[in-house]
Amino acid sequence: MAFFLQLVVSGFLTGSVYALMALGIVIIYKASSVFNFAHGSIVAFTAYLIWHLMVNLHLHIIFAVIISLPVIIIIAYLIQRLILYPLTGQPPLAAIMATLALAEVVNGAITLFWPGPARTYPKFLPTGTIQIGTVFITLEEIVNFIICGLAFTGFMLFFQKSKLGLTMRGTAEDHQLARSEGVKVNRIFVLAWFIAIIMAGIGGFLMANMHGVNQEPLIALGMKSLAVVILGGMESILGAVIGGIAIGLLEALGAGYLDPLVGGGVEEVFPFIILVIILLIKPYGLFGYKRIERV
Amino acid sequence: MLKKPCGTFDETYAQDIACIRTPFRAGLLILLLLFIFIIMPLVADDYVLGIMNVIGITVIAMLGLNILTGYCGQISIGHVAFIAVGSYTSSILSAHLGWQFWATFPSAILVSGLLGLIVALPSLRIKGFYIAISTMAFHYITIWIILHGGDLTKGVWGLPCEFPIFFGISFDTERKMYFLIMALSVLGTIMAFNLVRTKFGRGFVAVRDNDIAAEFMGLNIFRLKIMAFIICSMYAGAAGSLYAHYLGMITVEQFPLIDSIWYMGFLIIGGMGSISGAIFGAIFYRLIAQVVIFTAPMIGEAFPSLSVSGVAGFTQILFGVLIILFLVLEPRGLNHRWQITLSSFRLWPFPY
Repeated sequence: MAFFLQLVVSGFLTGSVYALMALGIVIIYKASSVFNFAHGSIVAFTAYLIWHLMVNLHLHIIFAVIISLPVIIIIAYLIQRLILYPLTGQPPLAAIMATLALAEVVNGAITLFWPGPARTYPKFLPTGTIQIGTVFITLEEIVNFIICGLAFTGFMLFFQKSKLGLTMRGTAEDHQLARSEGVKVNRIFVLAWFIAIIMAGIGGFLMANMHGVNQEPLIALGMKSLAVVILGGMESILGAVIGGIAIGLLEALGAGYLDPLVGGGVEEVFPFIILVIILLIKPYGLFGYKRIERV
Repeated sequence: MLKKPCGTFDETYAQDIACIRTPFRAGLLILLLLFIFIIMPLVADDYVLGIMNVIGITVIAMLGLNILTGYCGQISIGHVAFIAVGSYTSSILSAHLGWQFWATFPSAILVSGLLGLIVALPSLRIKGFYIAISTMAFHYITIWIILHGGDLTKGVWGLPCEFPIFFGISFDTERKMYFLIMALSVLGTIMAFNLVRTKFGRGFVAVRDNDIAAEFMGLNIFRLKIMAFIICSMYAGAAGSLYAHYLGMITVEQFPLIDSIWYMGFLIIGGMGSISGAIFGAIFYRLIAQVVIFTAPMIGEAFPSLSVSGVAGFTQILFGVLIILFLVLEPRGLNHRWQITLSSFRLWPFPY
């Protein structure tokens, strides 16, 4: 029972980071119906970018984050203007391949700029472990959870209350109507990419803070958020949250109980097995719209 | 379909369905075969033949992907997983049971085909990028199973695989393998070329263009999709088996997910939905990779701060940018340019 509780708690805390990263994919999909396969690479890229600013340029963490924001805006604008805008109206394959190629360009940039072994952030958070009953939780996990919660609340408030957030939701509903109301749809797309990259950045930063700045695991992490999005449904923000926590829990439980049976490494593949099962049973996810097509 | 020059008339049904319609095309084909089987082995050294061998294997794999994606419209980012399954089937049969190439090759094709059937099952309910994601998940699962296969797959150490032996002749050099690989890739090309002209091939195109309309016309689209997946994975299995027997040693690191993306991307660069497009894509893919291998030392000299892995990053950026450029500027690929060139020769001196 103690083992089970430990797995549930750590799975829940990891799941909250997954949920945050999955939200990035959902926002882009809702705004521009582009499924962003490059999310994993962007997660890794932002983690490396902040590492570079903090360690090579000796900046404080707060300044590093502030300086990385304009870089992210420029990247978001370039992606939208140079790659996705010319592909409007092409078959879905074009957008999929474009984001996949983008993922490889970003991966290549990471190996070009920051080759070599894994890096670690300088410690800026308190480390240690606290014990509640029989469950051990590291302080980093709690801080991660709090930051994810804050980020969620912030973005929910942005979407519920601010004018820009409401404009984004309106654009997601109908591009033509939004255009006729004078909304610059392309700018909204850039904004969606900007927010998504920030989500990816926060998630990547938190995970890299715990496990080290390492390209392959971070990309794999972003790929796992694909499973989250499929479970939760492509269009649903609530689905991303529930899906993220569910995948985190299932992954922790699967790793905890199946690892001794097959000899380790289950958590690398478990989300993908769940993904295939979801696609077989409930392809549009828990909260996704079931699309009705007409010829 | 094939465009005919002016003045070529079909007077019988046999002429109407013929693959080679004009003497010019027949001449081209004979020249191509002469070039592949006689001129190339005479003039080329082992290095060039090695490149040609890899191109031949890539052509086989690319033809399969072209049938699934180019003709049937199902996006697969798990193609390398099928190739891996073919390779590992061959190697396991060769290393553990001591089977010969003539037995492992069909077995690899069969096993890959069966796996294609399983991967095709989700395509009953989903389409578009959902299929892309499910094939990607399939890739991760396959590679994980191979890594954790224990004694059967030897994990990260990989498996040896014997060179093919026919009638006591071991195909252990580049030159000998060249004939085997080229014969099989020419055979695969002919099969693919004829397959897409059959009832099923036209069914694939109907499913690609609009699957609901295709279903409305009375086509069993689930069966067609499953068939496309099985054919695609069989081609991949053949390519994988050849690859394993050609290299003599395979490890799981030869089958990364990124290669599946390059296969898809270079199929687009070559031109989807045409056999020649798949061949162009395969040739372009391997030639660009060769160019990178040649220029990598120069780049390393020009920018001494880059390490070896930095140059690998340069390759990724180059390939990715190429794919994006083709998607944006010429989505119909090199094959479209080739057809334009051909027809402008045919129509000269008129512009159209």
